[in-house]
Amino acid sequence: MESLDPRVNRMNLPSSFDEAMHKEEMDQLATYEVFLVPKEGKPLESVGPVHASEIEMAFVFGKEAYSRRFTCVAMAVCPTSSIFPSPVSEAGQSAYELLTDQAETEGDEQQYEVFHMNKRGKFHKHVGSLMAKGPLDALHQGKEAFPEETPQNVWVIPTSDFHFNSEEDSDLWATLPEKKYRDAIFYKAGDKIQKYKDSVNS
Amino acid sequence: MYGGGNVFEPMKVKELADEDPILLKEFQDRIDRGEKIEPTDWMPELYRKQLIRMIEQHAHSEIIGALPEGTWITRAPGFKRKMALMAKVQDEVGHAQLLYSAAETLGKPREAMIDDLINGRSKYSNIFNYPAFTWADSCFISWLVDAGAIVNQLANAKGSYGPYVRALDRICKEESFHLKYGHDCVASLAAGTPSQRKWMQEAIDRWWAPMMMFFGPSDKISVHSEILIKWKVKMASNDAMRQQFLDMYVPKIWELGFTIPDPLLRKNEEEDKWEITEPDWDEFKRVINGDGPCNKERLAVRRIAEERGKWVREAINRKSEKYMVPLA
Repeated sequence: MESLDPRVNRMNLPSSFDEAMHKEEMDQLATYEVFLVPKEGKPLESVGPVHASEIEMAFVFGKEAYSRRFTCVAMAVCPTSSIFPSPVSEAGQSAYELLTDQAETEGDEQQYEVFHMNKRGKFHKHVGSLMAKGPLDALHQGKEAFPEETPQNVWVIPTSDFHFNSEEDSDLWATLPEKKYRDAIFYKAGDKIQKYKDSVNS
Repeated sequence: MYGGGNVFEPMKVKELADEDPILLKEFQDRIDRGEKIEPTDWMPELYRKQLIRMIEQHAHSEIIGALPEGTWITRAPGFKRKMALMAKVQDEVGHAQLLYSAAETLGKPREAMIDDLINGRSKYSNIFNYPAFTWADSCFISWLVDAGAIVNQLANAKGSYGPYVRALDRICKEESFHLKYGHDCVASLAAGTPSQRKWMQEAIDRWWAPMMMFFGPSDKISVHSEILIKWKVKMASNDAMRQQFLDMYVPKIWELGFTIPDPLLRKNEEEDKWEITEPDWDEFKRVINGDGPCNKERLAVRRIAEERGKWVREAINRKSEKYMVPLA
């Protein structure tokens, strides 16, 4: 197949395919959720999912997908399967009011991170950590711990399931200012427009 | 980058009359209150199917749209332009990733979406079936095709589905660089040598007709499209988006001393409406159904990437790590 694109020509594409190609079922990688701190002093907040083969790769993909363009000071990822969500509530109602299952009473305590989605359509933000015997216990304890809040959805995630960047790695994000060509404000088309207008008038 | 004109064709789904009336009312009330729908909420089948199709087409458009621009990375004039275009193409591919994830929350696996793309069952923005002959074509895409996409995406960002809205929130922020970069590229050619101006004018002449088709034919007023507007799936009519684009960008093109290849183009000030030559909708249909200058190449490139990337996916995949549908 001839193309205008020299890269495509180097691929030696056949002019037609003998048979259809089908993707195999589950021909994709595991799912992770990415969280980042956009600025010093702000809470960790969810930004979206990535697919990766393991958590460190998810961290790399997360960095590329979510932190390459805007300020970021810290990042964390966890497997989506580690997230235990509450039901989603209607406006004016707290998701904590919708908990029906009993909290776990047996088992060892471990630390959970609690995230609130304050409004449908928004991102989940970190509100704190607590010790609990299981995810349901963590949700019930969250209700006690954050009585002032009326989140529309709550995520509890075991702290140990996260992969965080370490403090000394925080210069990972220091390259952003070097890449000004990725900022809208880098471009001043006005100068060129003026140059064109001057050339017409002269 | 996404036009959105070809999305709302009828599809076979459960009739609305067969949906649970109580659930349907709760669903509609929630949208009327301005609240978003989240993946675990009940939703009518028509809403789910239309959103999958729309978000999936949007994702495919980002991937395929990166191809005509990617062509010019190695030949962009100067180091800064190469870096900027590479960053832009990376953004577009990143947008596709966000959008595929949003569509996955509605229940269609990513493999099925990619399978439908490479086998020609799924559509993407028709404009990417046209070739980028020169650097000026790539400048046209970066500025004006992205501008059209932004008109569409800003409208969709006010839609009702939470995961799509979250993805668009990030996408729209990133697109602002594309628009400024594209305008800068075009303005550079405008202020350049007579040959550079000539290249840019030729690119405008080539791309204007596909650009007008980008927003799709006038919407037919049907019960179907009314319900999609009521559900905040469709946020603006194709004509309204085309008019908004003309309003914002025709003056900017004229400002640079370029002409637009449409003898009928004029602003009807009384009706506050742009008049244009009706686009060739037969060509639009022909190209969208596979018979455009680049359809075959675009799909072949995607297919080969899938085939030749298989060993990488196999090499890195750990069966112990489980895929799961994204939550939000």
